[in-house]
Amino acid sequence: MTGPLSGLRVIDVSIMAAGPWIGTLLGQLGAEVIKIEPPAGDGTRWVEPKQHGMGTNFMCLNLNKKDISLDFKNKSDQDIAKQLIADSDIFIQNFRVGVIERLGLGYDAVKNINPKMVYCSVSGFGEVGPMAKEACADFIMQAYSGFASLNGNEGDQLEAFRFTGFIDLTTSIVAVEAILAALYQREVSGVGQKVEISMLQAALEIQYTKVSDLLSAGVVAKPMGSQSYGLVPDSAFEALDGEVFLTVHNESQWKGFCTAIEQSELSNDSRFQSNYQRVIHRDALRAILQPIFKTRPMIWWLRAMERVQVPCAMAQNFEQLRYHTQVCSNGMVEQISTQNWGDVVVGGLPWHFSRTPGEVLPPPIPGADTEAVLSKLAKKNVNPKEAMA
Amino acid sequence: MSESGPLKGIQVIELAQGVAGPMAACRLADLGATVTKIEFDEGDWTRNCAPFLKDGMSNVFFSLNRGKKSVWLKSSNSNAHKTLKDLILQADIFVTDMTTQQCRDKGIDRVDSKVCAWHPQLVVAQLSAYGKHGPLSNRAGSELTSQAMAGYTRYVGQGSEASIRLGADVAGCSTAIFTVQAILAALLERNKSHQGQRIDLSLLNSLLSMKTVHLAAQSDPDTFEGPRVGGAYDPPERGWATKDKPITFAFGGAVGAEGRAGWTDFVKDLNMSHMLDDPRYDKNGRLTTGLGPLARTLKSEYEKGFKQHPSDHVVVKVREHGGFASAYLNHSELMKEPQVKAMDVMQKVKAGSAMVDALNFPAKFSNMSVQIKGDAPQLVEQVTHTNKTI
Repeated sequence: MTGPLSGLRVIDVSIMAAGPWIGTLLGQLGAEVIKIEPPAGDGTRWVEPKQHGMGTNFMCLNLNKKDISLDFKNKSDQDIAKQLIADSDIFIQNFRVGVIERLGLGYDAVKNINPKMVYCSVSGFGEVGPMAKEACADFIMQAYSGFASLNGNEGDQLEAFRFTGFIDLTTSIVAVEAILAALYQREVSGVGQKVEISMLQAALEIQYTKVSDLLSAGVVAKPMGSQSYGLVPDSAFEALDGEVFLTVHNESQWKGFCTAIEQSELSNDSRFQSNYQRVIHRDALRAILQPIFKTRPMIWWLRAMERVQVPCAMAQNFEQLRYHTQVCSNGMVEQISTQNWGDVVVGGLPWHFSRTPGEVLPPPIPGADTEAVLSKLAKKNVNPKEAMA
Repeated sequence: MSESGPLKGIQVIELAQGVAGPMAACRLADLGATVTKIEFDEGDWTRNCAPFLKDGMSNVFFSLNRGKKSVWLKSSNSNAHKTLKDLILQADIFVTDMTTQQCRDKGIDRVDSKVCAWHPQLVVAQLSAYGKHGPLSNRAGSELTSQAMAGYTRYVGQGSEASIRLGADVAGCSTAIFTVQAILAALLERNKSHQGQRIDLSLLNSLLSMKTVHLAAQSDPDTFEGPRVGGAYDPPERGWATKDKPITFAFGGAVGAEGRAGWTDFVKDLNMSHMLDDPRYDKNGRLTTGLGPLARTLKSEYEKGFKQHPSDHVVVKVREHGGFASAYLNHSELMKEPQVKAMDVMQKVKAGSAMVDALNFPAKFSNMSVQIKGDAPQLVEQVTHTNKTI
């Protein structure tokens, strides 16, 4: 199951969430990933909930890695890290700005050892500016970046997305995107570089369309319940027995939609003849549609919309989605057997390559690979001073 | 449109609409690729999405399609299929959100092969709503339906009331990012193997991959306690009220660490010293701030103190004493922040006769400049002779 990055090696000294998932994704793309944990251990091991005593965050954010334990405050352990760095392609760190330099593994030090290294440095607010040294967390960046300001009912100010670590994980995916761009550049230039990722810029990227509404059109996006600013209809509707979620993207879908709700005359109503018109008259249209949806069960609307190819769905909870044929047949979630902590359900590969598929591998036991990795180093008999030369 | 950046010389053909495919191709253009967007008939549906720029172009369309060349084809034109195939034959990358059958109908056959038989070096990124295989593989989907199916709408709003969505286009934008990753990884691999391949991505898949923290938390937890297993049933999370706007804050309580000693001085500083004698408060803020288990129950107690001060003051005090904090900002407030200005998050680009701001590439590189592109194409009929448009 070799992935497209097979042959590359990653040294991951990051902890918590935004950093570690970068290594996992690179591992799932086929790279060899060595996670170096400090003696105190990655804090996610103790974050609730735990499964058989191990934090589930640690498990899902450290798949596809080897795990070794080193103490960077100790010179000999630093030297071991430097030997590993000499023979690797990607380095990931997410200490608070300034800390990694004190540990002797700042970009300049690493570049001296290995000029081909793509060095990924993750921060909360960025490495420059008045807030460079402030600590950050997922919910802090949801607040700061305006991500929460987009959620809620009409008239609400804000609402956070509850506890999925979504901005942390967004930071990881943006980092992988940037690391791969730097690796591609390395193919041409022959040298690596430093790639700076901030939770701030990642949070803006996941809000790309909404931030752009302000930047280029001067519109400040606000909460709209289940509706969207640009498309109508595009919302949840209360059916007889629950909600259906549906979207009309274009005029052929609109005509189909009108047929499906048995209101063909709506498609001739001048107020609703284009998306542009429907956006202007959204309240009038909603007032017409809501009572119609209330008359039939969800399943009726699903079938009716399916026939006219209008996107329509019901909400699913964990238990429904994890066994859903569609989810399973595309590997969107995976159940992984761990050595010590039972079976754990994790997100599946986000990309499926036809020729170099990659795979989801279980999380490591902390420190379990220390001996194997160090003895391999010893066999290579690399003198750290030579490596640093 | 001068091309520079790591992908200089790489040709991309995009036959996709909406957010995911076009945003991925837009970022590839920012990285230096030459992107040609193919539209049929009605054109990309985002062309009709509010808000609109002064020249009448949809802002959503503009933002997602800056820096691209454009070819508009009519399904009824007998040359359309040949034109499309000729364009793809000259390309390195084909990004599409069409199903295999829809591609076939447009003369692009066997797009779902392991390696494209008629162009073995081609990297094909095939995007869908719900995945390539399974009973829903041909089903139409959207940002909203993907959010609902992935269970995202359960973690905003309140279960008993009408559902709300995440206002950001999280399915579209995350799929765009995953698509750029996949294409870059496939290009790196192609440099070694000299072969292209197909990559399947979907909105639902992206959201479930990014739900891994919640999925793992609900697998078989030792106790069903804590925010990651209970979030669906919690009330809406709107932070702590202050004199003006709400804030969120934590003294290490976010992640189960020990908490921070600074909490004691913080509560003194904000005239809330009574908390020091109250047994409900641990003395480092771990349990009662951030995502701590008592944070919700004691929120109103903190708010009594916070409401005496503007949000700026409370945030500064939390940070001064070693905690994490931010006010809840909207985008307009955010863009005025000195930190955001220092980070150069945007660049001016051309939009017709005007210059507008656009979001920079979301990373800073020490050794490479990413010059983001301007101008998105109008929907105008092209000459159908490929060589004249490309």
